[in-house]
Amino acid sequence: MTGLGGEVIRTLLGAFAMALFPLVVVVFLIWEARKVIGRMQDRLGPTNAGTYAGPFALFQTVADGIKILTKELIIPTGADRGVFVAAPILVVTVAIAVWAVIPLGPTGLQVVDLDIGAFYVVAISALAPFSMIMAGWSSRNKYAEVGAFRAVSQIVGYEIPQVLALLIPVLLTGSLSLQDIIRAQDIAFIFVVPLAAFSFLIACVAEVGRLPFELAEADSEIVAGYFTEYSGMMFGAFYLGEFINNLTVSVIFSVLFLGGWRGPWVDQVPWLGAVWLMAKALLVFNVLVLFWAAMPRLRIDQVLAFNWKFMVPLGLVELVTVAIADKTMESLGVAQGWERSAGLLVANLVLGLAIVGVLSLVGREAKRRRSFRRPGVGAA
Amino acid sequence: MIHPFAVVGLFLVVSLIFGVAPIALAWLLSPKKLNPRKQQVYESGNPTFGETWIEFKPQYYLFGLAFLAFDVEAAFLFPWALAYNQLALYAVFEAAVFLGLLGVSLVFVWRKGWLEWM
Amino acid sequence: MADTINGMPVEVWEKLQARFPGALHPAQPPERGDAEGYPQGGEHRMTRSVSRSVLQNRPRYEGVLVHSRHLLDVMRFLRDELGYVMLSSLTAVDYPEAVGQLPPHIDVVYHLFRLEGGGYVVLHVHTAREGAILPSLTPEFAAANLQEREVWDMFGVRFDGHPDLRRLLMWEGFDGFPLRKDWREAYFEEEHKPFRSRFPEGGSPLYAEERTPYHANVRYSREFAEHNLHVDEDFSEADALLYERMLSADRDTDKPLKTEEMILNMGPHHPSTHGVFRMAVRLDGETVRHLEPVFGYLHRCHEKIGERNTWLQNIPYTDRLDYINGMTNNLAYCLAMEKLLGWEVPERAEYIRVIMAELSRVVNHVLAAGFFSNEIGMYFTGSLYALEERELVLDLFEAAAGGRMMFNYMRPGGIARDLPEGWIERARALVRGRLPKKVKQMQSFLLDNEIVRARSVNVGMLSAHDAIASGVSGPVLRACGVRYDIRRAEPYGIYDRFAFDVVTREHGDAFDRVALRFDEVWESLRILEQALDAIPEGPIQSHRLSPKMLIPPGETYARIEAPKGELGFYLVSDGGANPYRYHIRATSLLNLTPLSALTRGVKIADVVSILGSIDLTMGEVDR
Repeated sequence: MTGLGGEVIRTLLGAFAMALFPLVVVVFLIWEARKVIGRMQDRLGPTNAGTYAGPFALFQTVADGIKILTKELIIPTGADRGVFVAAPILVVTVAIAVWAVIPLGPTGLQVVDLDIGAFYVVAISALAPFSMIMAGWSSRNKYAEVGAFRAVSQIVGYEIPQVLALLIPVLLTGSLSLQDIIRAQDIAFIFVVPLAAFSFLIACVAEVGRLPFELAEADSEIVAGYFTEYSGMMFGAFYLGEFINNLTVSVIFSVLFLGGWRGPWVDQVPWLGAVWLMAKALLVFNVLVLFWAAMPRLRIDQVLAFNWKFMVPLGLVELVTVAIADKTMESLGVAQGWERSAGLLVANLVLGLAIVGVLSLVGREAKRRRSFRRPGVGAA
Repeated sequence: MIHPFAVVGLFLVVSLIFGVAPIALAWLLSPKKLNPRKQQVYESGNPTFGETWIEFKPQYYLFGLAFLAFDVEAAFLFPWALAYNQLALYAVFEAAVFLGLLGVSLVFVWRKGWLEWM
Repeated sequence: MADTINGMPVEVWEKLQARFPGALHPAQPPERGDAEGYPQGGEHRMTRSVSRSVLQNRPRYEGVLVHSRHLLDVMRFLRDELGYVMLSSLTAVDYPEAVGQLPPHIDVVYHLFRLEGGGYVVLHVHTAREGAILPSLTPEFAAANLQEREVWDMFGVRFDGHPDLRRLLMWEGFDGFPLRKDWREAYFEEEHKPFRSRFPEGGSPLYAEERTPYHANVRYSREFAEHNLHVDEDFSEADALLYERMLSADRDTDKPLKTEEMILNMGPHHPSTHGVFRMAVRLDGETVRHLEPVFGYLHRCHEKIGERNTWLQNIPYTDRLDYINGMTNNLAYCLAMEKLLGWEVPERAEYIRVIMAELSRVVNHVLAAGFFSNEIGMYFTGSLYALEERELVLDLFEAAAGGRMMFNYMRPGGIARDLPEGWIERARALVRGRLPKKVKQMQSFLLDNEIVRARSVNVGMLSAHDAIASGVSGPVLRACGVRYDIRRAEPYGIYDRFAFDVVTREHGDAFDRVALRFDEVWESLRILEQALDAIPEGPIQSHRLSPKMLIPPGETYARIEAPKGELGFYLVSDGGANPYRYHIRATSLLNLTPLSALTRGVKIADVVSILGSIDLTMGEVDR
């Protein structure tokens, strides 16, 4: 009895620590993203110019968090109050819940090594659009409503290429456990199946609604999209959830394609795994930030067309190619080690070249149509 | 040893606490000086005209339906991918045919023009 | 000029006479009863010094007087047979008292231009002040749409046949027509500045705010707060009319699937509307079925105040029109005054004017492209890059004029101050060194970006024909393939001395409008290089100016190629120290004329990018 009780308490403590982990990391990631974007835009980003916020204004986000806690929570008249309040709670809950299966290190540094870990990640993150449509619809605001519908059609759609790309590491590993997937990566999967990594990354950017897929908030069009009506900490919850999701997809990408916690000396010092994983995740996160600072936003029809006419076919073709190439090599006797990886890489590169070829043909066609469309009317 | 799913359940509860806590805290800390004007729905400074909750354009639902079909198919692929290492080449080809059928349905939807935004 | 009658080419006059025998009259100076019988002039103490001979030698009007029943025929004839396709300006002047033999009337003035250049044709149409009504041009001349609404709003002239005659700047239910001479504002003090309470003795001026019930007290009364917090469920008269129109316009009956549409207001407090512009949009899903622009949120009675001000007081006032381009606003107004005065401008001042105007154009175009990138969702990066270059040009402006945004730099007959030492070298370094590098960088960042192309190519296409018909000007017009630039069509100042090309693009979509701005920046840099090299030494002002400056009676319309398009000033002087009529042909307003047509059937996202590609400043739209 005490054994079980101790186990429960230990698990609870671990769960609390693990749930706190993304929150703490995100506080500094927000600062980091603001700094990077500031530099991209010839600005300084957060500084200590006004009031002191730690060295390099490192604790600016903490100050912002405290401020936002003291802001009034306003629920508009006519809104569906229950759903309105539930949405920001759900968004943070879902964002944290994914971390149950994230392996920060080889042993121990994980809440639970679920044997369907990858599936759990997909299943839980599929709940994110719920909070968006709940927020958008319950606000009874027209911008929010448009934003909610955009979120649903976009984020839901990009789950398919995401799942298709995620199937490839699973297929190569033969396991849904994230630990097994990491252990199988003697060579990081990004060097084995770069196309899958590519489409997973793009699908992830679309899932978290980062530019150029930032349609659900689209500040220049629909003000703030689905969370237009939110104020105070309820807005803060959406902001927090968004950044946790950014971190989460970066971590998951690192786990699936960059070898997770693997790195030098992890065998001797297990906690170093967390450092390696976070370093890799930071790299991916910064790619997202660079997209954010450098790209305009696509239109809803373009986003959906890109998904259904490019990403989904790409995912299908990639899955078939990898599966068949791998089995063919196996029947030819090159089933193991770097030879298998090299073979898959070659298959991926050939497929990638073919896709680039097709795209450039289509692009040339489109350009020709434009230049022949209509002659300008000359006057004077 | 606790069952892994019990741990997940515990973790879900913990995450729910983390979701509720900030908003509950804000509820305690924040001022409450509501007035009707403050609670107006925001529409760029204009009072909203007409009903907001309307029968919205069905386009979104078409994409929703397409998603549903594809997502279910994708879920079917998980066991196949798991068992991949034990499968023979012909089983892989079978899956390829299955994926091909998915592709055909995609082409069908595409040709029908349901992927175009109206 | 010998070959003109009343400011228009003789051949045009002869053709008009042949086509409409007896229907038209040259708008000659009306007979006057006595020397002091000009409208409002007699009582003004500054007018008395104007000699009678000056008044009578100048024609009171330009152009022809047309009876309203011939107006449409004459307009059609001018457009179809004589090539006067551009209805550039449409405004009115109020004469509340009899002028010579003419009874009290409202004079509606039309300015028409040819694409080939060569002067304008002015049509005057008189209508009675009570129950003023004229035939509307809007069904056939799209450019008249917003301008007729403005004349109705400001003068109370009804336009028979206008499809949508609502007030433009004031709200529905506003009492009176503000630009009529007998309309007086709250706390009215005097007809003309300088007010006796402040000039010449000074004393204690009376400020309007001191006469409000609240004085300088910032604490509002209890009743005020409660009144302010009350939410009115009913819509204002203006909104009711607007929504009625929204629901009735552009109905298509044969939709395959019945869906409910909703009306969404974008603006006035919206992130993408460049200030307080409002677009009421009827949406079907994401698709815009009808868009109705709503103006007037930044209306600040510019023209009314301009008619109270003295001539020189208006120069700093023009800075506030298109506040990105104060320099070109100054320039256009000073050109108009010089036309009335017949003054020459010294060589050096001409060069400085060109340099300032072209620097302003560079700033405006780079900024427009930067903000366009914001509009299509780039997270401020583009606009911050643009603002950085703008700061450097503003440094130059500040060194010359003393202000970074409000310049008050040009004067009739020259400029206010000479350039400080080393200015030319600094400008040359900027124009030759940094700007080309940075503009090139920005151009490639923006125009080569695949997503920018996806968002702007084939979006909001405007055909050359529609563009001309709807009175669009500047880069928006040239992006449609119309080679029309006032700097070339009717060179003002010394623009005929510089080598530069009038660049055009052919598609007229949002992408071309943005790309064309970059093309124009390169041409502006060319002009700047030439001007900075050739600028001579010498005087900068041809006349001594005095605050009591009088301008002989007459009317004129002067226009320049401002960065955003044709900026015109229509001035009427009664010989006094204040403009009798001070009208601004606002580029940004006229460029919005085709907005509703351009956005029909596009997505919400495209509405924003189309608006961004048109490039407007609300200060100029609403005045």
